[in-house]
Amino acid sequence: MVNVVIGLEVHVQLKTKSKIFCSCPTNYRDVEPNENLCPTCTAQPGSKPFGLNKTALDNLLKIALALNCKVKDSSVIQRKHYLYPDLPSGYQRTSKPIGIEGNLGKIRIREVHIEEDPGRYELREGTVDYNRAGIPLIEIVTEPDMRSPDDAREFLDELAAILGYLDVARGEPGSMRADANVSIDGGTRVEVKNINSFSGVVAALAYEIVRQQNVLRRGGKVIMETRHFEEATGSTTTLRKKETEEDYRYMPDPDVPPITIKQSHVTELGKTMPELPRAKSARLSKDFGIRSEDAWILVAEVEIADLFEKMAKKAAPQKVALWIRGPLKKQLNYRELTMRQSGLNEEWLSELFDMFETAELSDKAMEQTLIALFDMKRSPRKIATELDLLMTKDTKEIDRVIEAVVNENPKSIEDYKAGNEKALNFVIGNAIKLLKGKADSKLVRELILKRIKEKK
Amino acid sequence: MAIKKPHAASVSAEENLHRKLDMIDKRDAEVKAFIEVYREEALKSAKEVDKRIKDGKAGPLAGLVVAVKNNIAVKGKRLTCASKMLENHHAVYNATVVEKLIAADAIIIGSVNLDEYACGVDGTYSALQRTRNPLDLERVPGGSSAGSGASVAAGMCDAALGSDTGGSVRCPAAFCNAYGLKPTYGAVSRYGLADLAMSLDQIGVISKDKTIMKRVFDAIRGPDPRDQTTQLAENVSKKAAEVKVIGVPKEFFEGVDKHIAAGVRKRIKELEKNYEVREVSIPTLRYTVPIYQLTMAAEFSSAMQKYDGLRYGFPADRNEDLYTSFAKARDASLGKEIKRRIMVGTYITMKEFKDAWYSHALKAREVMKEEFASVMKDVDVLAGPAMPTPPWKFGEEMTPLEMYAADMLTIAANLTGTPAIVEPLSSDFKDGAIQFYGRHFEDDVLFRI
Repeated sequence: MVNVVIGLEVHVQLKTKSKIFCSCPTNYRDVEPNENLCPTCTAQPGSKPFGLNKTALDNLLKIALALNCKVKDSSVIQRKHYLYPDLPSGYQRTSKPIGIEGNLGKIRIREVHIEEDPGRYELREGTVDYNRAGIPLIEIVTEPDMRSPDDAREFLDELAAILGYLDVARGEPGSMRADANVSIDGGTRVEVKNINSFSGVVAALAYEIVRQQNVLRRGGKVIMETRHFEEATGSTTTLRKKETEEDYRYMPDPDVPPITIKQSHVTELGKTMPELPRAKSARLSKDFGIRSEDAWILVAEVEIADLFEKMAKKAAPQKVALWIRGPLKKQLNYRELTMRQSGLNEEWLSELFDMFETAELSDKAMEQTLIALFDMKRSPRKIATELDLLMTKDTKEIDRVIEAVVNENPKSIEDYKAGNEKALNFVIGNAIKLLKGKADSKLVRELILKRIKEKK
Repeated sequence: MAIKKPHAASVSAEENLHRKLDMIDKRDAEVKAFIEVYREEALKSAKEVDKRIKDGKAGPLAGLVVAVKNNIAVKGKRLTCASKMLENHHAVYNATVVEKLIAADAIIIGSVNLDEYACGVDGTYSALQRTRNPLDLERVPGGSSAGSGASVAAGMCDAALGSDTGGSVRCPAAFCNAYGLKPTYGAVSRYGLADLAMSLDQIGVISKDKTIMKRVFDAIRGPDPRDQTTQLAENVSKKAAEVKVIGVPKEFFEGVDKHIAAGVRKRIKELEKNYEVREVSIPTLRYTVPIYQLTMAAEFSSAMQKYDGLRYGFPADRNEDLYTSFAKARDASLGKEIKRRIMVGTYITMKEFKDAWYSHALKAREVMKEEFASVMKDVDVLAGPAMPTPPWKFGEEMTPLEMYAADMLTIAANLTGTPAIVEPLSSDFKDGAIQFYGRHFEDDVLFRI
């Protein structure tokens, strides 16, 4: 493996009711283009920024604390000058660092600051939507401490989990973006911009590392440049070559008074902080005796961790853990839902899990009930009863089905006897199908084997 | 607070407005103070105000006719900044000061001319029209609030709002023989005032009547959540400070026209009857022009970024790449002085040159503030001339540097954020004006001398 050095600049849109420097609403995804506008966020001649949104600053402070940063006593809003159609004022307001010298595990955090999002420029149509202009944004800058795309993935997964716990970020697609700096073998640093999702970061890094390796392999030289990530193709293309750093002519914004942050306020905010994923994972693993890799998966979403804690008080924790990360997560992922979005509650899921554990539901019936639960949203017992999924107690029916499948599949039985294990599975599958999943597959297997022996 | 009668006791708001409109009809073809006269709206609001006066519900400025410098937003009206860039731009909102004038029952008669984007000292840099001094049409009215000074001097309004970044209210007040006030930075909301230099700009008032000027100032002052730099206005001590000691900085008289200097000295002599007068020294006053030029240009270049031809000015050419079209739009829509200041400002804030220029200016400005604060511990106000010369004649060629030097007595108030007032010395505008500086948020004190 080559020696890879990766640093990230992660942009996260903060969750606030109003924009960062005016009182326009922030629901830019729910409204027609250019609806949430005022003189200030469109930089009309004469307009001025209102005060820095206090919720936005508090949200930043919570994130800074979660990233173990030191919080500065003061900061300044600066103007970063550049010309682009999405930027109505011709400069972006961006603060000097507010959180500094933090870390998330082994990745050091250089700084966290706040800034305003520009509008959205559609290059092809030549149109601009300023609804997004003024959405509060933070930038988290890491030290170049990542050595592989997987390191970046781990870092971003944990960061995403933290943001979810704190409930301070907008969280929708496109609300978290990143720029990545990559160099290999101590070579020139290349910046990849326009990565609009955390999964995109991993793809962009993987591509960029291979690209740089190929350049070097062919005897070429990696040049200092800014590259653009193309989501559709998963590749990066040259955006601009730069001989020197761009000059944004940073200047303190005379319209915004310096930001002062009282350490007592930071302490108060610190008291409101929830238990964060890392600590929670360690505690769950210790208190419930579950494997640490399972605990780490459970804590990725706070609602799932909470669900586990409640369920694990009523049942065997390790089994609960495996059930959540197995069947439940499978269904959530398939639907692209978070636990919170799913609308499922602990009461139903505990009931379902209990029915499964006490063999009232077979594994297949449990899965079917769970699937139905997403739509029907009521007691799993009622659902299972309505759909006739409860394990059958009618042994005569089981016996009848087993007799039938053994008789109807003589070839498979012969194959099994000849040593082909898979042939038996086929027979079991047929039996389960006929029983509509109302019998436990282990039990069916035992009964079939017994019947085969008897038939000898 | 409600004042039941308009300022001229026997005159209705409508009658007062008609007199002003008549004067505009009579003289503005040659003076050219107004960019737009809001005749119909003004007549309508005068009628409404008269009704409120009758009902005893009128606001504190009931019936006063006010003109507004055209870098201050009046909703639905052109906000040109006297630039080709904004010639057809209509404001979509009211500046806070305009809201306050309306709430106080003032009648806004129209928008008045200025040097383009308020960049100039005599009014001749307007890209739209040339305003003349009504007291002598061969002479400049002073700038950049040229139309504000000229409309007041010609009797076309009772008071005019101007903006003052380096003396732009006080210069035309002095040249047009009127009173002019540049309030403390932060005393009046700038929301709706197009930026020249954000840390120096302040909206002020010009009037031939000191009492009217004070009433207008009282109506427009106060904190505004839409301008964060007005937060300090809440901390103003309401107690009426007394003027006991007047300081006279010797630097204020360096390079000043002899006749004006003598007139100001004479006036100060008279003040000795009632006040203790002391000569003081504020050495950094000698550096006001370079400190100001650097600070102003840096901020101005930032403020002008938004005028890229996409939203304002001659429309950008879609067939060209963005940066070429930006450059062309700016080249075609902005005047020479504007370009000069943008280029200087951009240059001195570049990474490479910042420490040689802009950073020095910021430091020097802090030193000046300290010197002022230290001197003003012992003196209540400072006195000196307002402008170093009487208004010059059109065609008297001046280099940009000579032009910039004309600001030397006024810009210290902007750099330090202190309030300043100018008052005519005699009925002849060529005699010049005296200027008083006060302490932060002691604007009221300036009216008690």
